[in-house]
Amino acid sequence: MTADGPMDADALTPLVYNELRRLAGAYMRRERPGQTIQATALVHEAYLRLAGAGAPWHDKRHFVGIAARSMRQILVERARARGAQKRWAALDRVSLSDSLAIAAHEESMLPALDEAMDRLEQVDAELARIVELRFFAGLSIEETADALGSSPATIKRRWALARAWLHRELGGTP
Amino acid sequence: MTPEQQRRVRDLFEQVVDRDPASVAAWLSTEAGGDPTVRQEVLSLLAHHSVAGAFLAEPIADRLPLLDEDESFASGSVVGPYTIDRELGRGGMGRVYLARDNRLGRTVALKVLAPHFVGDAKQRERLRREARAAALLAHPGICTVYALEEIDGELVIASEFVDGRTLREEMDGRRPPPAEVLRTAREFAAALASAHAHGIVHRDLKPENIMRTRDGRLKILDFGLARLVEDEEGDRPAAALRVTHTGVILGTPAYMAPEQLRRQTVDARADVFAFGVLLYEYACGVHPLHAREPIAVAPALGDVIARCMREVPAERFASAAEVLVALDGDTAARQRAPNARWWRTHQAVVAALYIVGAVLGWLIKEWKETPMTVAIFLALGAGATIGGVLRGHLVFTASMNPKQLDGERRRSSRATRLADLLIAALLFADGVLIAGTRALGAVTAFSLAIGILLAALLLEPATTIAAFGDAE
Repeated sequence: MTADGPMDADALTPLVYNELRRLAGAYMRRERPGQTIQATALVHEAYLRLAGAGAPWHDKRHFVGIAARSMRQILVERARARGAQKRWAALDRVSLSDSLAIAAHEESMLPALDEAMDRLEQVDAELARIVELRFFAGLSIEETADALGSSPATIKRRWALARAWLHRELGGTP
Repeated sequence: MTPEQQRRVRDLFEQVVDRDPASVAAWLSTEAGGDPTVRQEVLSLLAHHSVAGAFLAEPIADRLPLLDEDESFASGSVVGPYTIDRELGRGGMGRVYLARDNRLGRTVALKVLAPHFVGDAKQRERLRREARAAALLAHPGICTVYALEEIDGELVIASEFVDGRTLREEMDGRRPPPAEVLRTAREFAAALASAHAHGIVHRDLKPENIMRTRDGRLKILDFGLARLVEDEEGDRPAAALRVTHTGVILGTPAYMAPEQLRRQTVDARADVFAFGVLLYEYACGVHPLHAREPIAVAPALGDVIARCMREVPAERFASAAEVLVALDGDTAARQRAPNARWWRTHQAVVAALYIVGAVLGWLIKEWKETPMTVAIFLALGAGATIGGVLRGHLVFTASMNPKQLDGERRRSSRATRLADLLIAALLFADGVLIAGTRALGAVTAFSLAIGILLAALLLEPATTIAAFGDAE
């Protein structure tokens, strides 16, 4: 498929459905009844963005990659629209560090996380990709490894590195 | 730090992350001995790693609210002639309230459309047109639209209040008994067929848009509203495939027909597709997109669902009315449809042309008896017999045994087309042979050849598509 160069959204619609099923499946397996609709909706939204932009992609891996990036954008934009930065800035240093460790105020954290990820990308782009796939698209270690063409063991260690790096960048105290 | 140092940091981190923390410092001193910057960085990252806790540990999507907490009407507030009772729900199009129409004293469902839907005057006009069309639909299976009003700059739609629950709530992973599936399918198809008969396509059928009343009847909501989010020119749901800045989803790709996703022209067959997906989900308790095993329902129902969900619209049922017929197992009624009359007439006329062709072949043989004309006459006779018998068989099957018709048509379509081409070619050859002696006979043979040829290439596909929705 890659041999023919980029294709447009139309030509890949059935393929997209397979990938959507896979992405949605990643949520379904978590088996949190009643909460999967939003995740599925997010996958759909990501797809709509891709289709709407007529974004060309090359293969399944590439699609999963841009879908994950798209999900990051959607969630961060939404958080910004809801005034997340203000709420995040209002946290003092101690409660901020606690919030990070217990994953509280996650929505408020998103814009700051987004900016930190931009900086991480300058240092090591792959680490930023891993965060997109794991945190924003909800892929497992194995699925992330598959999407990045790497081994699960390597992804697991780099995921730990990315989290540590972002934790520091967001102002967590060790 | 240089890129080289960053690579060192990454490699060292990866090597020590799973080690016993006590031995890490000493190990690092030897490994990164020459570069204190690298050592410090690795130690710092390890420290953050050890306290990161739940940071980023779980994917975020499921833990965020999807919709904005925007303005809404409180209970008791007055909107024009309506008094709000309570909010019933919210969706991509706006909020829905239970309200009282103070003029008539009746209870209504009041949909206050989100501002981004009703931006410009053009769109409002479209909305009015659609609401007018939807208001014409009077079917017990369709939620009745009472009024479309503009109140203080807000567009509101008042409609029948359906007290019950959505099909989404009803499904909830369970698998209803086959009889219930069939009853629901019929009820659903009948309501949809009544809309299609009025030329109105829903375009956004999904379990959230279909309700079951407390006394067990099915009602389809929001007819004509999906069109709002489509382009002015034609039926391209471009706007439907946009995400608003607040992240509200317009249109639900999970139930959209492929042509709708590809933004091509959409007609009743897009509803037929959504109907198929919905019925699948209703019958099996799982959306076909998520299904891991083949569908396990009554074969007849499975066939109907499969045909609804064909990728190519022409292969689906042409409208919900056809679905209903198929569900009732009354395929004979489909053949009685006026469209099939043209197909039957065509079959009879072509069979008659065969006979005329054979007679003409005999006349030509009489006028000018050569081995060639004799051979052509014999071939014409054989071709006319084969073609005539096949067409007669199809007409017979259509009226006596309609269930087999589709298969028979597919089986014989190539043979009849071949017979047509053969007869046309033979008549043409006959015409050439007598062109010098019998001008009128030659012209008749040519005309007949051209007539049969055109009938085979143009008319037959047209009448067949009109009657059965496919060209085979």
